[in-house]
Amino acid sequence: MSGVLTIDEPLNTSTESFDALYRDSARDLYAYVRTLLGDDASAEDVTALAFERAYRRRESFDERRGSSRGWLFAIARNAALDELRRRNRTAPLVGELPDELAPAPEEEADVALRRSTVRAALAALGARDRELIALKFHGGLTNVELAAVLGCSETNAGTRVHRAVTKLRKACHAPA
Amino acid sequence: MRQRDCLSPEEHRELEALDRALAGEPVDDDLRELQRLVLDVRADAPRMSPGFAARLEYQAAEGFPASQERRSPARRRRRWVLVPAAGVLAAALAALVVVLGSGGSGDVGSGGAGQAPDGPVAASGDSATRESTAERPAAPSAGAPPLEDQARVDRALVPLGVPNPGGTISPSTSPRRVQRTVSLALSVPGDELQSTADDVVGTVDRFGGIVASSSIGADDASGASASFDLRIPTERLDGALAALSKLGHVAERRQDLVDITGSFDSVSDRLSDARAERKGLQRALGRATSKAQVDSLKARLRSATSRVSRLKGDLGSLRRRADLATVSLAIRGDADEADGGGSGGSWSPGDAAGDALRLLEVFAGVALIALAVLAPLALLGALVALGLRATRRRRRESALDPA
Repeated sequence: MSGVLTIDEPLNTSTESFDALYRDSARDLYAYVRTLLGDDASAEDVTALAFERAYRRRESFDERRGSSRGWLFAIARNAALDELRRRNRTAPLVGELPDELAPAPEEEADVALRRSTVRAALAALGARDRELIALKFHGGLTNVELAAVLGCSETNAGTRVHRAVTKLRKACHAPA
Repeated sequence: MRQRDCLSPEEHRELEALDRALAGEPVDDDLRELQRLVLDVRADAPRMSPGFAARLEYQAAEGFPASQERRSPARRRRRWVLVPAAGVLAAALAALVVVLGSGGSGDVGSGGAGQAPDGPVAASGDSATRESTAERPAAPSAGAPPLEDQARVDRALVPLGVPNPGGTISPSTSPRRVQRTVSLALSVPGDELQSTADDVVGTVDRFGGIVASSSIGADDASGASASFDLRIPTERLDGALAALSKLGHVAERRQDLVDITGSFDSVSDRLSDARAERKGLQRALGRATSKAQVDSLKARLRSATSRVSRLKGDLGSLRRRADLATVSLAIRGDADEADGGGSGGSWSPGDAAGDALRLLEVFAGVALIALAVLAPLALLGALVALGLRATRRRRRESALDPA
């Protein structure tokens, strides 16, 4: 992740600023969408669709209503949720783990074990909590941006994130 | 169930530590476990395949061409279904506004107030029928009299001097005698009052009438006025009224008709009787033989002669009432019209300003009415849009609920 992007220039006045948004957010956005949908093919489609929609609507972006990164994640979230509704199912977190995510052989055993535990704990969370973890950890959104994406207050967003993180921590410490 | 939104200080501290860990900053020792969690989760973050990354890069370079999204026909249909629905809703609301707006006024269609200066004049029997330009029904269907009443009115419309063919109102075969009284109010520019008064006199002369009395003078703050009491030959009254009406703007016109045929016949009969009596007394006087008879007959003859004279006077008065219509003419000099506001004056910048103000008032009224119609529609539309948005969001969110 490359941190929260601050774009001073409005999107509708510069194609370069949208390009900057794309370069800064593409990987994080994909990670979030992939976590939400659970499979690569859908995640790729939805990610591309989100950028396409955002590019098409870039003139309607109003920086007074939030950051461009939050705006982009909100578009991606709508597309992902539409995809989920279309499939009429909630996706497992790590239905098909890419090979590159598997622990490297040279990794230490305890690190591998810890990540495996975290992966399982994340998979055990409910879809809403899993989405919050993905938005916060993969997307790197601030609570203000989270509130804009989820359509709630900043306080509520913080409360929900804290609750989801607490569940994740408990699940990580739960006996296997 | 609604969950609490407030966080404890400890929870706040953990959230801040989470944000610091996400930003790669150090955290307190007791929260190192949270930092490891962040690192582990992010280390496990899904990554794009090189193929997709290249594809996305290409699309970015091309400006994300619209090849991904294809809106389904069903969704398009659903959106189009909303258009007629919104139209029906708007029409229903507009109809409601119209119905509610017209509900309070009960005088719609109660008859017009159009001016018909030379319309037919009705008289019924001995009763007077009043006709006013402000009170005449607009159409026969609105308050039209029953057929028998209409027949009576038609009979009353028989021209003066023509025997009534129906004959039911007056058993006499003598011509109808109708007394006509007209009240006419004219409005003229204040500076034309005197010339209009002169024209009135000229018009009355032209139609063989007389000016019984007249007065001209300052009336009040609104301007000067003049009044005339005229006598116009009845058979030329309509023409005279038409000519007088052209001298100014007719503000009011009222006609009263009284059928005096009965009174005329009664006086006429009594006069005939009185004459016959007098004639008989004259014959009896010629045949009288004694002085006492002569004195008595002379006294009765004087009485009869006196009665004949009185009745002749009464009959003459009735005849004049029938032959000469009374016209009360009032002329008001309008100061505003004198300033040029009337049709005859010149159009000044002041008039233009006044017209512009009136125009603005009309526009403001129209805008207000439009606002009264559109504001509820806009409010309704906003509520519908908000409802649809909330529903759409709820539906989307439902995808995250367990199946």
